[in-house]
Amino acid sequence: MKKLIILLLIVGFGHTSYGQTYNDFKTDSIEASKPFKPSKTQFMIRGYGHTGLNTLSSEDKTESSYVGSAFAPIFLFKHSDKLMFEAELEFVLGGNELEVGLEYADVMYILNKNMTVRAGKFLLPFGTFMERLHPAWINRLPTRPLGFGHDGIAPSSGIGVELRGAFDLGGPSLNYSVYSTNGPRLKDGSEEPEEAGMLMFQNFEDNNNSKAFGGRIGLLPFADSSTEIGFSAYSTNGAGATDTTYENVGAFLYAIDFAFVKQIPAIKGFIDIKGQYNNSDIDDATFTETHEDGDEEEYTFDNKSNSFYTQLSYRPTMASSDFLKKLELVGRYSNLNTPEGAEWEEQSDQYTFGLNYWLTWRSVIKVAYETTDSVGGHDGGGTTNGFFVHWAIGF
Amino acid sequence: MLLITGGIISCSSTKDKYTDVTDIEDEFKIEKSGAQLWGEACNRCHLAPSPADYNDTDWNTISLHMRVRANLTEKEITKIETFLKSAN
Repeated sequence: MKKLIILLLIVGFGHTSYGQTYNDFKTDSIEASKPFKPSKTQFMIRGYGHTGLNTLSSEDKTESSYVGSAFAPIFLFKHSDKLMFEAELEFVLGGNELEVGLEYADVMYILNKNMTVRAGKFLLPFGTFMERLHPAWINRLPTRPLGFGHDGIAPSSGIGVELRGAFDLGGPSLNYSVYSTNGPRLKDGSEEPEEAGMLMFQNFEDNNNSKAFGGRIGLLPFADSSTEIGFSAYSTNGAGATDTTYENVGAFLYAIDFAFVKQIPAIKGFIDIKGQYNNSDIDDATFTETHEDGDEEEYTFDNKSNSFYTQLSYRPTMASSDFLKKLELVGRYSNLNTPEGAEWEEQSDQYTFGLNYWLTWRSVIKVAYETTDSVGGHDGGGTTNGFFVHWAIGF
Repeated sequence: MLLITGGIISCSSTKDKYTDVTDIEDEFKIEKSGAQLWGEACNRCHLAPSPADYNDTDWNTISLHMRVRANLTEKEITKIETFLKSAN
């Protein structure tokens, strides 16, 4: 009996000891308190979306639609501290269809502290609007300035390779970019006669062996980085398809951009001034116009275009009222001139005025009025007035 | 003894003068803080982000993206990233 009691005690004690070891709170606590250690490879989705109401009225008609619901996710794959892949998709509802676009998709590698290489499809640093300012949650107005976007004269993206970087000049700083891409295609009028002579920058598969070369230099002359002046150039020796009469039609484009952003105590807020001038010079070529009676007529024109915009915005960030701090006043003037004699000849002036309410640093409600006076263009010209209410959010 | 004492005093005063000069030089070499760069660099395009909206891991990825996108120097983005992580 005594031996049995001892045996039971040993088994019971041993079981208790085992149990305590298995549920060692102290050990578990240490495991749980280990700091989170992120992996070297990181994946992140960011992006933006916007929606709104557009009302456009010209002399003979008025159109009003809820528009947008655009969704632009940005995928960031950080492979290491120097290597990253980035891509942005763009889903837009337009013309009763869902349009899907690949805005950019490129791999980038930090070569050294002053140089990064990018390859793939990337936003072109032709001025600053398309590369830095066009996303809906960054653009202070619901619309883009004339000359950008669909049928614009300024390139927005390209497929190729780019070197870029920045230098600290001991107060002032300088940034640069040089790149080579597939370059543009020249519209010869065979598919869209009304756009003969226009450049199409979406050149996913090069239509000839003439690449485009370009670059931008940006100088921030003051130590407070409030001011930036940039000069961009973009050139190609051939924009037409191989083995056509347009093969050697070249083009030279340049842009000058300006930015001033600063909080000024005297006016209790932030002043933001942006501007960009674009100039496009395409070699002259002869195109064919087919009349309704079947007759064909050859024509040519001096293929030069330019556009310009300047924008001023003011946010009373130092106001005593929390409501006023979230408001922003915006005004923009924009101008576009396309070649005289072209089917797409146009001279337009546009004024846009807006009032923004910033819910957060990346969410804004924009209300704007815009009036455009045109001669020529797709709609034949005239005055168009627009009223816009948009909500944009970055994430 | 007087010579030794005088030498010590003279060395001390020389050192003080040197220190003063160094301080003045440092004053002229004051560099921007991460918070200042965050306000300046981000606001050039969009409103400066709230540090609290992302964690340290997210800021690692966003910093690399923005370094290239905004053409910032290595020193600028390092300071901005350090500030954002310290303030989130």
